[in-house]
Amino acid sequence: MEKQKTPHYGKVKPINYRYIYEEKFYDVLGQLKLPLMVVIFVSTVGVLLFMIVNNKTDGESVVNYFFHTVISISTIGYTEGYGTDNLTLNRLITSIYILFAFPAGYMYGLVKTIQVLTTSNLGKIYKYWRMYKEMENIKDHFIITPFNEITKEIMNDFKKRNIPFVLIEPDKRKKEEIENFNPVYFILDEPHKRAVLLGAFIERARGIITAFEENTQDLAVIVTARLIMPDRNNFYIFATATTEGSAEKMKLLGANEVIIPQQTIGKRIVSLVLHPPSPLVSNFLNKIAFGEKMDIDITEVHIDENSWVAGKALKDIHLRKNTGTTVVAIVKPNGKMDIAPSGESVIKSGYTLLLLGKPENIEKAKTYLNKPQEVSP
Amino acid sequence: MINWGKVWSDFFIFLALTSNVGFIFSHDPYQLVVAIGVNLIATVLKFGAKKILSAELLATALVADLHLIPAAFLYFSQTHTDLAIGLAIGAAVANVISIVLLFIEMVMEYRKQEDSY
Repeated sequence: MEKQKTPHYGKVKPINYRYIYEEKFYDVLGQLKLPLMVVIFVSTVGVLLFMIVNNKTDGESVVNYFFHTVISISTIGYTEGYGTDNLTLNRLITSIYILFAFPAGYMYGLVKTIQVLTTSNLGKIYKYWRMYKEMENIKDHFIITPFNEITKEIMNDFKKRNIPFVLIEPDKRKKEEIENFNPVYFILDEPHKRAVLLGAFIERARGIITAFEENTQDLAVIVTARLIMPDRNNFYIFATATTEGSAEKMKLLGANEVIIPQQTIGKRIVSLVLHPPSPLVSNFLNKIAFGEKMDIDITEVHIDENSWVAGKALKDIHLRKNTGTTVVAIVKPNGKMDIAPSGESVIKSGYTLLLLGKPENIEKAKTYLNKPQEVSP
Repeated sequence: MINWGKVWSDFFIFLALTSNVGFIFSHDPYQLVVAIGVNLIATVLKFGAKKILSAELLATALVADLHLIPAAFLYFSQTHTDLAIGLAIGAAVANVISIVLLFIEMVMEYRKQEDSY
């Protein structure tokens, strides 16, 4: 089936960032046109002039005339390239030649060429070009915008976990700061433009994270991203908001989750007050809740109708023995939660189990729990 | 309006072919030096053109240069004069292709202009 596209997708072409830097490189080459042309012209005229004056066209003489021309233009002047015949005439011609070859060929042609090459930041152009060329292969990445303290934290974490991401920052003044921070891929452009998001390969991305200080900017990004990627289950949008109201709006407009930083911080402080700091426990819970620890995870597993565990007591499925995971809670379809369930608890289809364990064991448990009925051991 | 920048670059591109052909028929050293100079200038003029066929145009120009410069070595060392002429013919072919590409590009440019109206 053909992938459904939103009407808003329209004729917007993605911005090709690699192409922008290719053009910059061509611009530098373009600036070299005239100076190089003058250098070539002056040298050709020089060689022809000495060939005509001396009436010699054998290879040795031509090479000598070429040598003489080059050392004249470059003001080096080691020696006289022509022989000793017609010395006076050759010197006269050379003098006249240098009078126009020096200002045109040296002062303009060579000096300008060097000036263009040294002032055009070719190294930087190449660096950006290479970055955007590599970015073309990116997939399953997150788009993060803008560059601030919140997203810095996210990016540091993503780097540790090898999650690919593209940073989009609208403020060009932050360029240097971003370069120092060195996210692998970044774009300095407006993230609420479709062409920019498409240029960051949003169609291949897993989601977008937007954490502006201004709710309006977040909203603009959310709406644009959701118009391009309408499927909520395959493209995640996470955002921050300053008030409940805007958070609600963002959710309605397409955000999967919205965090209100102030509220989150407040709640966390309250939880610290209510649970007097026990370094071991609170650290452990934080690490699970905020995903800081990578070797332990908590996940929900839904039990569907034809799973073999449906109708069995928890102690009879030998989950811990076979997969190394623990059921911390059973969530019933009506939302009721049975925390730390006993071995007698019966699992029914439609229930959700919250499992705690190492990530690879949890994966094992997922397939273990949802094996069809017939294959029951 | 005549685009004088275009006249300038087209002039050298055509001159590259004509001087090249001139050498093939005259076998004259002066003509060879002129041909090399003009071909190099034509190459430089094709730098940085952000046009549809700029890569192809630059490639043909570089081919012509890389035929003519060895041809000059062979010709002036008087070891393989025939081969030098052969190389010059090769360069002429590259120049002809370059002019064909130039015409194609012109047509495409006009099409593009009409589209944007």
